[in-house]
Amino acid sequence: MTGILSLPERRFADEEVVDVVVVGTGAGGAPVLARLAAAGLRVVALEAGAPGPPRDHAADETEATELYWLAERLAGGTTPQPMGANNSGTGVGGSLLHWGAFVPRPDARDLRLRTETGRGRDWPFGLDALLPYLREVEEAIQVSGPRNYPWDPSRRYPQPPVARNQAADAMARACDSLGIRATDAPAALVTRDTEQPGFGTRESCIHCGACHQGCRNGSKAGGDTTFLPAAVLDGAEIRPNCMVTGIERDALGRVSAVIYREDGRERRQRCAALFLCAGAVETPRLLLHAGLCNGSGQVGRNYMAHVATQVWGTVDREIRPNKGYPSSLISEDMVRPADADFVGGYLVQSLGIMPVTWANQVARGRGLWGRGLTDYLAQYNRVIGIGINGDCLPYEENRLTLSDELDESGMPKPLISFSAGENEQRIHAHAERVLSRIWEEAGASDLWTLTRYAHTIGTCRMGPDGDDAVVDGRGRSFEIDNLWICDNSVFPSALSANPALTIMALGLRSADAFLGRLPA
Amino acid sequence: MQQSAAPAGDAITLFCLHALGGSARSWDGPSACLGDGVRCVGIDLPGFGDTPMPGRHEVEQLADHVAELVRVAAPVRWGLLGNSMGAKVALAVARRAEDGEAGLSGLERLVLMAGSPPSPEPIPEERRREMLQWFRDGPARDREQARIFVAANVSSPLPADREQAAVEDVLRADKRAWRAWLTVGAAEDWQQRIGVLRTPALVLAGRADADLGPDAQRALMLPHLAHGRLLVLDAGHLLPLERPKEVADAVAAFVRKDGAFPGVAAGPVLPDEAYRAFIASDRVSRRVRAALEKRMEADDPAYAPQVLTPVALALLRAVMARVLPQTSDEANQGTIDLAARLDAQLAAGGGDGWRVATLPPDAEAYERGLRTLDAVARQGAGCPFLCLDGAGQDALLHEVQAGQCRADGLSPHQMLAWFEDVRGDAVRLFVSHPATMARLGYGGIGNGGDEPRLRGFDGSHLDRREAWEPRTPPGPGRVLAETGA
Ligand SMILES: Cc1cc2nc3c(=O)[nH]c(=O)nc-3n(C[C@H](O)[C@H](O)[C@H](O)COP(=O)(O)OP(=O)(O)OC[C@H]3O[C@@H](n4cnc5c(N)ncnc54)[C@H](O)[C@@H]3O)c2cc1C
Ligand code: SF4
Repeated sequence: MTGILSLPERRFADEEVVDVVVVGTGAGGAPVLARLAAAGLRVVALEAGAPGPPRDHAADETEATELYWLAERLAGGTTPQPMGANNSGTGVGGSLLHWGAFVPRPDARDLRLRTETGRGRDWPFGLDALLPYLREVEEAIQVSGPRNYPWDPSRRYPQPPVARNQAADAMARACDSLGIRATDAPAALVTRDTEQPGFGTRESCIHCGACHQGCRNGSKAGGDTTFLPAAVLDGAEIRPNCMVTGIERDALGRVSAVIYREDGRERRQRCAALFLCAGAVETPRLLLHAGLCNGSGQVGRNYMAHVATQVWGTVDREIRPNKGYPSSLISEDMVRPADADFVGGYLVQSLGIMPVTWANQVARGRGLWGRGLTDYLAQYNRVIGIGINGDCLPYEENRLTLSDELDESGMPKPLISFSAGENEQRIHAHAERVLSRIWEEAGASDLWTLTRYAHTIGTCRMGPDGDDAVVDGRGRSFEIDNLWICDNSVFPSALSANPALTIMALGLRSADAFLGRLPA
Repeated sequence: MQQSAAPAGDAITLFCLHALGGSARSWDGPSACLGDGVRCVGIDLPGFGDTPMPGRHEVEQLADHVAELVRVAAPVRWGLLGNSMGAKVALAVARRAEDGEAGLSGLERLVLMAGSPPSPEPIPEERRREMLQWFRDGPARDREQARIFVAANVSSPLPADREQAAVEDVLRADKRAWRAWLTVGAAEDWQQRIGVLRTPALVLAGRADADLGPDAQRALMLPHLAHGRLLVLDAGHLLPLERPKEVADAVAAFVRKDGAFPGVAAGPVLPDEAYRAFIASDRVSRRVRAALEKRMEADDPAYAPQVLTPVALALLRAVMARVLPQTSDEANQGTIDLAARLDAQLAAGGGDGWRVATLPPDAEAYERGLRTLDAVARQGAGCPFLCLDGAGQDALLHEVQAGQCRADGLSPHQMLAWFEDVRGDAVRLFVSHPATMARLGYGGIGNGGDEPRLRGFDGSHLDRREAWEPRTPPGPGRVLAETGA
């Protein structure tokens, strides 16, 4: 039987000044909590969502909406971003309860995009500063991957690669004949039974394909199967169903407590320091609502979303896209394509998909309706998909602001304006050509392209200078020295790699910085 | 109150409610043509015929009057007939009966003739104002105006005696009642109160009726009737006066009819037997099975919308039928009521976590988007959206999708965004239904039951179909070999 994250019985009193309150238990919050607890600090994570034990998940897309952040957000700009199922989760474990577990490492060039191209923005440190943390995360959460990673021969993954599904097989063959390198994807899941401290057994991946509905046997890594049980072992408290709505400060302007709602009641937890890890929408919303840390005017700005173009086709055999780990093949050949008319680049991955998600994309993105729609939907078992994750430049005017409507938390609903720029459109166009070529080579017909963007990135960027960044390179706010941020919001640029591995590495690194363990 | 022949054993009693300016005797014609087994009770509504004007003259008081007469008569089986104004009163009484008001049980039939709908009546303001000015200039003018009124509401002249009686009825009406209907009763909005009635209903419309003809009945009346059917007669507005025989025949046939009515549920929409066995199997977890079973429950044909108005719900059903045509080719396959399910979801507040900032909140966007679509139809095609044929409706939806739908209401750009939501919501509800899963041959629900160690799929044979997986429906191309085969 698979393990489970057991929440501790004991609860810190609200009046007790805990060392650190961590808001959010996702990719940023979970490793922060684990690291601080391991150092012996008294830490509490306040999590808006509910506990979701692996076995309670449901292999059904409608039921699984419980894993998404469903409080309404407003989407503006010329490419309004769907929220909810498209990009944000909730629960003890955050978005890693439903994520795809596709974990490429960031590319060193992407962190130096401005130096390389004059566009975008450099990170305040290079890949070498992150590398030890990336390796540590891969080990801690047990990433599976190929023996030889073509773009980084020195790399080793702790677990053997996951089985390829049919889309991956088709992509591998087609890439091979086109001379594009492709290999088994690094995936944050175990391919053999693995003991995880504090959790129990993570059973080997059973290729059920339901990663986005929550992994029912703990194979997939998430905070709930890895960092959070480790944190609990080390004495951390995780307080679910607690929505933080405010931050209190003392006479010196330092954080002294957080205000949160639990069971409809407002409460206050006192603390000596605060880590905001609520994600790139909720963290800036909270700061804007509280009126904090925004002397630079940067809170909410530079909202980014990865270019996430997909190409779908139909083949003359059954594919059954629900089967197998969804994104089991990767190509990094397009991280800097030779014929690029844009800066940056993208990763290619094969796709698996569940029918409601697919149908929704078809109806919205392909624009089909009527008989054409029902006829096409009937092709579900024969469709095959391939997609990308492409860099996105930061633009000041792509930003999150507070609307004048309130949601159930009593806070203003966020309004997120996002307009893809020319660089993003060029990446999309390039990807459309490459992906279509691959699928044509694979013998697919009736190809169509889904224009799509994914992930919520930016809005509280880190940087060397408090005039145009919200936190420094370690994650500490320039304005309030006991307020730290660690989640997808601190990214100064989007990178072509999917974000979660990097966020987890940043989590460990920021926690080390907080503990004074990072060299100056 | 006028009564026809004494009731036979299990005769049905039909309470007949006249139009503006009419009286119980407006029904003499149809009543005489109705044979045994039907007993007609004509009622003088307050302020008309012999019934005095009440203190207040709103639909509510008119309905009180009728309900009281029904209670006194205490029929075992009864029905309501209403013409124009009388139809609106009939709807109000039917709502009370369906809600279980004391003394009103046994309502079996509703016949609405050129009925004034639950919404404010679509009468041109100029005509209304003119009618309000009448009966103020002495007896000679009054008679002339009464004559004009009767003549304007029939498509061909009435026989002299009938015309004479109709004019007398108009003249003896309490003019306060006449004006009250024109200013208050006709303008009252009863849409939410009436909701959707379950009682089998027959809607009669006169082809030559200017304001409350077939189109108005389709667009404004039928949406409130779960089991309603429209019959069009060659007539004007005062159907019982103009076509007593046809009206009587239609009523007689309708009252006699039993069995299925249009719109009556064909029962739940179910996947085929093999897929039902799959759902019941140990490959599917208890939680998923319970969710699928809930989703398979039959839709209620008289679903009362909680967020949309009944008219908007009818519009949404029409749009859904164009967006996602559901075939019911196989035996026992009805269609999934996507519109009702969506309304229920909107009511539960179960949003998808976002909306385009330029659109109003979901429920409002739906109501207004649908009304805009209807306005475009009326503007461009000259008739309500619900009266267009499939091709006509498609043409408008194409305009919406091209961002070119211009009418009062949502902007073309908003309509474009709203229509994307409509498509997304439609497929979400459709594809998550087990009957659709079966049609797709979707096996994902069986990727793990409740056993201690979940089985998932055999990773070394992801290019095979496992024996338990449902088959892909027939189509082009190869099917996968079974594992172990
Ligand atoms: C469908 C999907 C698939 C994905 N697949 C991948 C993938 O394959 N690879 C990859 O790298 N990334 C993937 N991602 C992205 C990845 O999940 C996110 O980038 C990452 O989880 C973000 O981490 P975070 O810490 O910023 O926020 P989250 O992980 O979202 O965590 C934020 C947490 O904070 C909580 N919270 C928010 N506000 C409050 C508050 N006010 N009070 C208390 N708690 C609060 C939330 O409930 C949530 O639990 C995917 C995302 C989605 C939606
Ligand atoms: S495919 Fe593997 S990792 Fe994904 S949910 Fe299924 S078992 Fe878990």
